[in-house]
Amino acid sequence: MGAYLIKRLGVSLLTALVASMLVFMLMRLVPGDVVAQMMGQAGGEQAAGTMRQFFGLDQPAYLQYASWLGRVVQGDLGNSWTRGLPVTMLIWQAFLVTLEVALLTLFVATVIGVPLGILAGIFENRWIDNVVQGFNVLGLSAPVFWVGLMLLVGISSLFAWSPPLRYVAPSRSLADNLSILALPVASLALLQVAAYSQFVRQNVVSALHQEYVRTAVAKGVPVRTIFFKHILRNVLIPIITFMGLILIQILGGVVIIESLFALPGLGRLLLTAIETRDYPVVQGALLVVVAAAMVVNLVVDLAYRLIDPRVRVS
Amino acid sequence: MFYRPMLHRGKAMRATLAAASALAFVYAAPAFGKDVGLYGPVAENPVMGGRLNMGLLVEPPGLDPFHQAADARIRVTVLMYQGLFYESPEGRAEPLLAESYEVSDDGLTYTIKLRQGVVFHTGKEMTAEDVAYSYNYIRDPKNGSPGAGDFATVKSVEVVDPSTVRFSLSVPNAALPMALGNKYGAVVPAGTFDDENARNLMNVQSFGTGPFKLVEFTPNSHIVLDKNEDYWDKGMPYLDGIDFAILPNSASMLVALQNQRIDLVALARPQDVKQVEGVAGLSIERWPSLGQASIDLGAETKPLDDVRVRQAISLAVDKKQIMQASVGDYGTVLGTVPAGLQEHWGLALDKVPMQGPNIEKAKALLAEAGHPDGFTLKLTTINGYDWMDPAAVTLRQQLGAIGITLDIQKVDLGVWINSFRSSQMGFTFNDWATQPDPNLLFYRHFHRKPDGADFRNWANDEASALLDSGRAEADPAKRREIYDKFQTILADTAPTIMLFSPDHITVRGEKVQNYVQHPTGWYYGLARTYLSE
Repeated sequence: MGAYLIKRLGVSLLTALVASMLVFMLMRLVPGDVVAQMMGQAGGEQAAGTMRQFFGLDQPAYLQYASWLGRVVQGDLGNSWTRGLPVTMLIWQAFLVTLEVALLTLFVATVIGVPLGILAGIFENRWIDNVVQGFNVLGLSAPVFWVGLMLLVGISSLFAWSPPLRYVAPSRSLADNLSILALPVASLALLQVAAYSQFVRQNVVSALHQEYVRTAVAKGVPVRTIFFKHILRNVLIPIITFMGLILIQILGGVVIIESLFALPGLGRLLLTAIETRDYPVVQGALLVVVAAAMVVNLVVDLAYRLIDPRVRVS
Repeated sequence: MFYRPMLHRGKAMRATLAAASALAFVYAAPAFGKDVGLYGPVAENPVMGGRLNMGLLVEPPGLDPFHQAADARIRVTVLMYQGLFYESPEGRAEPLLAESYEVSDDGLTYTIKLRQGVVFHTGKEMTAEDVAYSYNYIRDPKNGSPGAGDFATVKSVEVVDPSTVRFSLSVPNAALPMALGNKYGAVVPAGTFDDENARNLMNVQSFGTGPFKLVEFTPNSHIVLDKNEDYWDKGMPYLDGIDFAILPNSASMLVALQNQRIDLVALARPQDVKQVEGVAGLSIERWPSLGQASIDLGAETKPLDDVRVRQAISLAVDKKQIMQASVGDYGTVLGTVPAGLQEHWGLALDKVPMQGPNIEKAKALLAEAGHPDGFTLKLTTINGYDWMDPAAVTLRQQLGAIGITLDIQKVDLGVWINSFRSSQMGFTFNDWATQPDPNLLFYRHFHRKPDGADFRNWANDEASALLDSGRAEADPAKRREIYDKFQTILADTAPTIMLFSPDHITVRGEKVQNYVQHPTGWYYGLARTYLSE
């Protein structure tokens, strides 16, 4: 187990290094830089040159990368070129917002999606199944931004209410925090509930058709025992894998929802940083995203082992 | 009447529109006369206190007035930082932190008396030393300010006594006071930038003298400003504070407006305005602008180096049609200056040469230039500028009529700015704004290198000479004559074709009173805004 963890960590670090190099190169391949953005149509060449020097943009790219990496190793992601604030602080604040949205969405999607999927699977081709499947088609085909917009406009015209615009951390006021996050989480969760229940339904259905289940039924094993011992156990592993996938998907797809609901999350931070060519923020934020995806994958792998000892971590 | 909004609904709007169709949008005479103060009309019985929620569709990329040129920055920082003069909407530079000034007979020395009792947000009192420091900092290109070019004629800034500074110039520059306005830089305490971290700190606290102080700037979320209790103009501002909510999505913005989460917002797209038309409790107002949508014709790109080709294009363009396609009626068709400058500095619209549509003459000119069958030309448009897409399609049709095939290419702003600044702009749409002064509008853009930047490689000696004398001339009437001549050449040889000024459009809730939108698009008016109870 220890050796496995060390190996995984090593691979993760290597992946992060390669990813950071790629991001670094790609950002510099995109034409235009932060100085062009700051100077706009004004500003002489000399002033622009000074600013390039100030940001170290006059250095060769490999030197810029080396000095960035050198600071990252010491835990310093530098300052944002446009906002002036430390990148670590910007990312941490934004990450907490996105993480909260993602975890809440995951929670809602699991609590609603898994039971729906199990119900639909057990009552395969009965009316419950049809209703759930109908909902799933709707949820899977509606784009997230559309759902968000419809919720926003619909709730506004029905109840003359829209969420507050300034994000409040849950530590400051949980009620305010939840009233801000209710609609964004609902918009994101619709798709995930549908995906979840569809996925769980399929697994339940295929488990139900397994021979061991048929044998258990033939032997007269109580339904409850069949369900918990033979079906749920087998369905749980793919569900956990799926949970990891969904979490990563939410982290990636949250950008639009953050823009729609004015949430200062990681997606929006990254987007505005790319627009203004704020390299330190882009590089730092992507590093965090890559690291988060790796942590989620690792946790999922370890969770397998806990649920099913047959899975050898190798 | 810069201070009277064109009310969107009701009689006033119809009257304005009727007048507009007859007079091609003349923004009438001043409506408020003597009670127009700095930043906006003085309210008669303002309600003091309260906080205003304003929506921002575009986030300021930073709040440092010395190093950040973005318009989204200027709109907000004019409330916190001040220069020596205020750009009045009528095109006058009115003393702000200056109290009065004298110009020497040769026009080379400006002696400026400073306002007394001005205190920085840091608590320190403003002296001549701070003023000299601030302007010496910004004009030195080594300090990397995009505004440095506006001070190129300044040779030195010296302290005469604690309440007087002297600006010495290398050539006379009648637009100096306007350049000492609020677009770039500001008066900040001497030594502010000795601290390497100062430009970062400007996103955390404000160092200016303006009516509001920065309390908090949370990127992608909000900006909080509080009233400056020690503001030198007693009785201002009326509000206790302003909370800017940064909301990049206009649909969410409109929902927030309807639910009174937001009291006031400036909108940019006509389709957004349509959505709030007729919503109870919201008033839509239109204001003349100093911005312009234009076509630039870089002479480095063949065959645009031939003046006859540029003239033919100018004659083939139907500006009104392009404006209708781009912003509907929410704009003003231009001659040779943006709408907000037309009354005081624009060449009379009926005197502007080479205006279309005149297809026959355009075709004849093209044939004369050796292109009887036309040619293919690349048109650059910029990502994120909504008006450019419909405008590009319309322009393709118009130029198609004289045989020019347009190949439309969309690029990112950063890319576009790089080719613009290296004078390789080719044939492109442009979208830019100016301060209310002809020298600041024209000089840098159109004067020959190296004194100007001549982005379009126009290289016109006669026009450059006129720009020099326009800058030196202090007498407004003579100055206007010079700029009339310049504009005639500009339109006749078409290095640029100014199409239209999109109106500034503001939407406000019922309780927002006395907000006027400055033609620059900057939010000066918030210092005169109050909330009715």
